[in-house]
Amino acid sequence: MIEAPIVATGLIRHFGTGDNIVKAVDGVDLEVRQGEIFGFLGPNGAGKSTTVRMLTTLLTPTAGTARVAGFDVVTEANKVRRSIGVALQDAAIDPLMTGRELLELQSVLYGLPKTTGRQRGAELLERVGLTAAADRRVGTYSGGMRRRLDLALSLVHEPSVLFLDEPTTGLDPMSRLTLWEEVRRLNSNGTTVLLTTQYLEEADQLADRIAIIDHGRIVREGVPRDLKAQVGSPTLSISVDATQSDQARNTLSNFGELRATAEGTLGVGLARGAEDVASVIRALDEAGIKVRHLQLDEPSLDDVFAEATGYRLEGAASHNAPDLAADDDQPVAPKRGRRRSR
Amino acid sequence: MTVVMHSMALTKRSIRGRLRQPAVLAPSFIFPLFFAALGSASFTRLADDPFFSANIASSFLNYAVAGAILQGVLFASTSAAGDLATDIEQGFFERLLASPISRTSIVFGRLAGSMVVGVVQVIVFLIIFTAFGARVESGPLGVVGLIVAASLLGLAMSALMAGLAIKSGSPEVVQGAFPLVFVLMFLSSAFFPRHYMSGWYRTVADWNPMSHIVEGMQGFMNQDLSITQFYKAWLIPLAIAVISILFALRTLKKRLAAS
Repeated sequence: MIEAPIVATGLIRHFGTGDNIVKAVDGVDLEVRQGEIFGFLGPNGAGKSTTVRMLTTLLTPTAGTARVAGFDVVTEANKVRRSIGVALQDAAIDPLMTGRELLELQSVLYGLPKTTGRQRGAELLERVGLTAAADRRVGTYSGGMRRRLDLALSLVHEPSVLFLDEPTTGLDPMSRLTLWEEVRRLNSNGTTVLLTTQYLEEADQLADRIAIIDHGRIVREGVPRDLKAQVGSPTLSISVDATQSDQARNTLSNFGELRATAEGTLGVGLARGAEDVASVIRALDEAGIKVRHLQLDEPSLDDVFAEATGYRLEGAASHNAPDLAADDDQPVAPKRGRRRSR
Repeated sequence: MTVVMHSMALTKRSIRGRLRQPAVLAPSFIFPLFFAALGSASFTRLADDPFFSANIASSFLNYAVAGAILQGVLFASTSAAGDLATDIEQGFFERLLASPISRTSIVFGRLAGSMVVGVVQVIVFLIIFTAFGARVESGPLGVVGLIVAASLLGLAMSALMAGLAIKSGSPEVVQGAFPLVFVLMFLSSAFFPRHYMSGWYRTVADWNPMSHIVEGMQGFMNQDLSITQFYKAWLIPLAIAVISILFALRTLKKRLAAS
């Protein structure tokens, strides 16, 4: 049986000592299968970056084991490094060097012969659309260009496993789509990808499977579709004349629990699923209620995330969180108190 | 072999980085020349003193060359260590650690880059000072002596500062340490001969290794070749370099172990 490219068992990383100990990662078990895109989600400080840093040999685990590309991250760290590509959000690119120079340097560090390195660098620049800017200093690149260069740098040695740490954070929608396409293309060529992201849409679009980490532990893991299905029933929201809203509410309550939805609309969680939509419309019609607008929302990954962690991420769409008005930049905590920061 | 290749690649990056920051590179050339010009203008008549002309230098300009080289090397070493600290602070260091690179080559690349800059500085300074009338009394071997001395001094100071950079991970801390080194230089015979000093200033200068290093270099400039010059200008910086490199590597090991 072929070993999975990423396997972590009981991975623990603590910082500090005594009373000041912080359990950043507190027993993570993880298996990323060959050829899949694995989304790793979690609120700020949940432990996802610490986990990725351990898997990429940048941090030594306090306890537990992890094997990446078939090698132990502690005892065979250098073999792991040779096998993986890493694009870390906080790993800077030297602004004084050009894109081409950085790729050539990266080639030397990975032991590629000079001519191969040059050729590979040129190919990668072409692939990420940076050929025209190849001889410009990176300091003059936009954020999107830097992330694309970062991706190119992580691919110089054609790794079998790729770690992408929040690869599209801060990018405009077009740059984000371009990067998604490249990740899909790499994956279709057999590269296993572990992707951390704070954009649930990104995980939804790209990931074959996801894991949600919270307080240093994996709290959900699976295929996005299955996880969404586990969260609960779809929400039907309607808008009616204000004079008929009480009557409409009574009618809807026969089909499930009422849910607060966008202002001016009424919502119900359909207890028997989407198949009840026709019955609801029929009941509303029989009651003489004129429906102006109707919308059916399946549970989203945001709902899965909120259900698993008690938090919603910034900008995540929500149909059942009327009391979740977010602060500008912070994850919202509808169920628990403020999060610790780490 | 891999360590050598990685170190060479990072040396190239280090030198390129220096050359692409003229605002950082310039002070290591301008200030030493300025101080040498100032000293030469102020102390020209010192050459009239029989002791000075017989035992120290034929002119104050000839005397000032070694001090200028020392000063330039200190500037360049601090800048190189500052770049290493910036790499740590901004995350390029992390990028290097994520690759299968020999860890020691991260330090050696910086040190070698600093040595190369040191060599270039000596050559540039010698050309400029020669144009203004200075001459290397000990001949071509003296020039070689000066170049090697500057390289070793660059290695020693860069390693010391690199250790500080790795320990702190902060360019500000490295820059903050520079005035201390600068004070040490002023408390040596880099700018004025020890023979004319007195009291505590003389005592400090006597004990200051920089005095002996710079006097070895002054020997190359102003006297026939002697074993003392090599001892002072090569062996003392070499000894400091060995200790400093061990310090830098130990600090690196500690930093990596802590992660």
